[in-house]
Amino acid sequence: MHRFRFVLWRPLQLLPVLFGISVITFVLIRSIPGDPARLLLGTRATPTALAKIRAQYGLDEPLWTQYLYFLQNLSQGEMGRSIVFKIGVLDLMANRILPTVLLVVGSVILSLLITVPLASLAARNRGRTVDHAIRLVSTAGLGLPAFWLGIMLIILLSVNLGLFPVAGFGDTWLDRLHHMVLPCLTVALALSAVLTRNLRASMIAEMASDQATAARARGLPERVIFRRHVLPNSLVPTINLLAVNIGWLIGGSVVVETVFSLPGLGQLLVRGIFARDYMVVQAIAMAFAVATVLINFLADVLTVAIDPRIRL
Amino acid sequence: MRRRTIHALALVTLLAGSVLGSSLALAEGGVLTIGRREDGTTFDPIKTAQNVDFWVFMNVHDVLVRVDRTGKELVPGLAESWEMSPDGLTYTFKMRDAKFSDGSPITAEDAAFSILRIRDSEESLWSDSYQVVKTAEAKDDRTLVVTLNAPSAPFLASLAMPGVSVLSKAAIEADEIDFGEMPVASGAFKVKEWIRGDKVVLERNPEFWEADKVKLDGVEWISVPDDNTRMLKVQAGELDAAIFVPFSSVAELEKNPDLTVHKDPSTREDHLLLNHEHPALAKKEVRQALDFAIDKQAIVDTVTFGVGEVANSYIPRGALYHNEDNLQRPYDPEKAKQLLAEAGESDLTLNYLVEAGAQTWEQTAVLIQEQLAKAGVTVNLQKVDPSTAWDIEVAGEYDLAENYWTNDVIDPDQKTTFVLGHDTNMNYMTRYNNPKVKELVDQARVEMDPAKREALYKEIQVIAKDDVHWIDLYYSPFVNVSRKSIENFYQNPLGRFFLEDTVKN
Repeated sequence: MHRFRFVLWRPLQLLPVLFGISVITFVLIRSIPGDPARLLLGTRATPTALAKIRAQYGLDEPLWTQYLYFLQNLSQGEMGRSIVFKIGVLDLMANRILPTVLLVVGSVILSLLITVPLASLAARNRGRTVDHAIRLVSTAGLGLPAFWLGIMLIILLSVNLGLFPVAGFGDTWLDRLHHMVLPCLTVALALSAVLTRNLRASMIAEMASDQATAARARGLPERVIFRRHVLPNSLVPTINLLAVNIGWLIGGSVVVETVFSLPGLGQLLVRGIFARDYMVVQAIAMAFAVATVLINFLADVLTVAIDPRIRL
Repeated sequence: MRRRTIHALALVTLLAGSVLGSSLALAEGGVLTIGRREDGTTFDPIKTAQNVDFWVFMNVHDVLVRVDRTGKELVPGLAESWEMSPDGLTYTFKMRDAKFSDGSPITAEDAAFSILRIRDSEESLWSDSYQVVKTAEAKDDRTLVVTLNAPSAPFLASLAMPGVSVLSKAAIEADEIDFGEMPVASGAFKVKEWIRGDKVVLERNPEFWEADKVKLDGVEWISVPDDNTRMLKVQAGELDAAIFVPFSSVAELEKNPDLTVHKDPSTREDHLLLNHEHPALAKKEVRQALDFAIDKQAIVDTVTFGVGEVANSYIPRGALYHNEDNLQRPYDPEKAKQLLAEAGESDLTLNYLVEAGAQTWEQTAVLIQEQLAKAGVTVNLQKVDPSTAWDIEVAGEYDLAENYWTNDVIDPDQKTTFVLGHDTNMNYMTRYNNPKVKELVDQARVEMDPAKREALYKEIQVIAKDDVHWIDLYYSPFVNVSRKSIENFYQNPLGRFFLEDTVKN
């Protein structure tokens, strides 16, 4: 059996997962108390006005009928219409997807740029002051809430030093990259705190492994051993950890997007939840779930590519 | 470097202008950037009841009758003049010679269409408020005739509500959904671009009938949801202005020499709802006792950092027919105790519904809990999310709850009807019921003589206060901030920004 064969059949497993997610998101958002019609109309709403809105969005139908409509829409590639924004949910999401994607991708790249050198430094100086310092900082990084860290970075780097824009998304590509640095850094600092400790531990394990010892016996310099044997092998668990954390990362985008006023999906999700905009919440939850599943799948492919011994 | 050159240029122009003393207008213009909490939802005025939408399209859509800067007077908008028939049933409007942003004339036909649409459309959130309209017809291009089912003193004021803005019939009939995204404008600005969730970009509408008055080239409404970030953006000069300044930031922003903090009078009143169906709260003396037991000044000082002021009537100070001499019960916990004892309610326990996440309301709840404890009343706080709170209030399963109201129209009838004279929402969920007040409310609605109406509303305020239909807590202004380079950034009590007057230097 070819080792990449799972690439073909694995996506099929996605279908039942997606179905499960659709049921869960549908039921969850509706089980939160609250009425979208009332939230839309406010406290002055009259009973007739409320009834009209409910009828318009099919909210007065039994739950299972509503779910069938949802599935029917879904099978036609439709997600329904937003109660708050009066336009199709997919149109709404299409406008908001870019900031979130940039945030997630940028944070991952930035966190790897922080993690790999720090972890290497710590592992190669195990037990020394550098190692202790790096571990201490990463433990502290774990405890800092994103909204606080974000505001601190803004005050320090934007308001006082004027290096970056305070918040927003920018208009041109260059401008956007400039705007994305601080939000990505906020996420990356927290993420690399987790990754550094993990990578450092697996590097230390790899440095004591048989192949590293054998390489040392062949007289290879420590620098070469580290680059050829230790680093690739210790990356595997870190990539998997990163993939597991993708759900956390996407969830975290909700907070970071709010602090930096990035017009992304996370912000839309929060607003959707507060307004009980069912269609919007369902669609974004589905999108986030699919992204998480796909990225984990990608991580598996990458793992197999890096380490030929692994079979899935 | 370039910036400096421009400054120098501006200075030269300024000097040249002042030296020559000529009538040449200075190179004005510029785009005003305003930060706000949330992005809007639509530009179709009948489909929204939210300030995030109203406040923006008050400068995109014009109305027949406008509210002036003070928020107390009606002034001509797209209607140049109007006349009411002696029986109060027919209004004839003379339309101004004006154009939509697409160059087509604004006709009486468009105005009639807009009034009937808010009354009849399936998607209208406001149809209840315009049921009084019987017919709306264009006699000719410039003459609009509206007939009513019954005389209505507040009718004219209701035409100033942004929901009933004059819209292009042709544009809406062509594509209603598209209109909500990219409307044809009749106001000072038109929509240039709307990046959902990010910003609304407006540009000057050259066809606007007062276009020569407008100084700005455009306005950008930018959503910056986090309060701290929004304030920091103005401080860093990335925004010209920001709205929804938290009370807690006012003092700090006022210290900044580059900024102006605006406290423009609003019609917002925060009040404490009382459930009149609760056996103890059904007694007038108990409600009065609670009013004596609450130290409103302490709430103003703590919760609004002194920005607000103690309220004495359900009609706020900035609004038409406010009764300045209305009773203001002093803070007197001993008197409260005594009243409670007389009513046989010395051992009272009440359930206070608090909306989670609304910081000022959570603080107020804790203060009131402490204050009532001093009068011997035990208060249990029940924290729920906003939507659930409304459901509970509507169902009447609460004893106390804080809420607020801002006026959409200059006329007091709307609020008065909802709060004191209505039956479908149980007088704003309080279940307050006084037939005498209801009668006065109905009478005031059809009284066409302003002096007599004022007397009626003053009487209503006195009775409502005596009955303690709810407890008036405080009035608060609209708190906005702008950079010193911005002039005439002003919001009237009904929430309209007079951006046609705003100057960016």
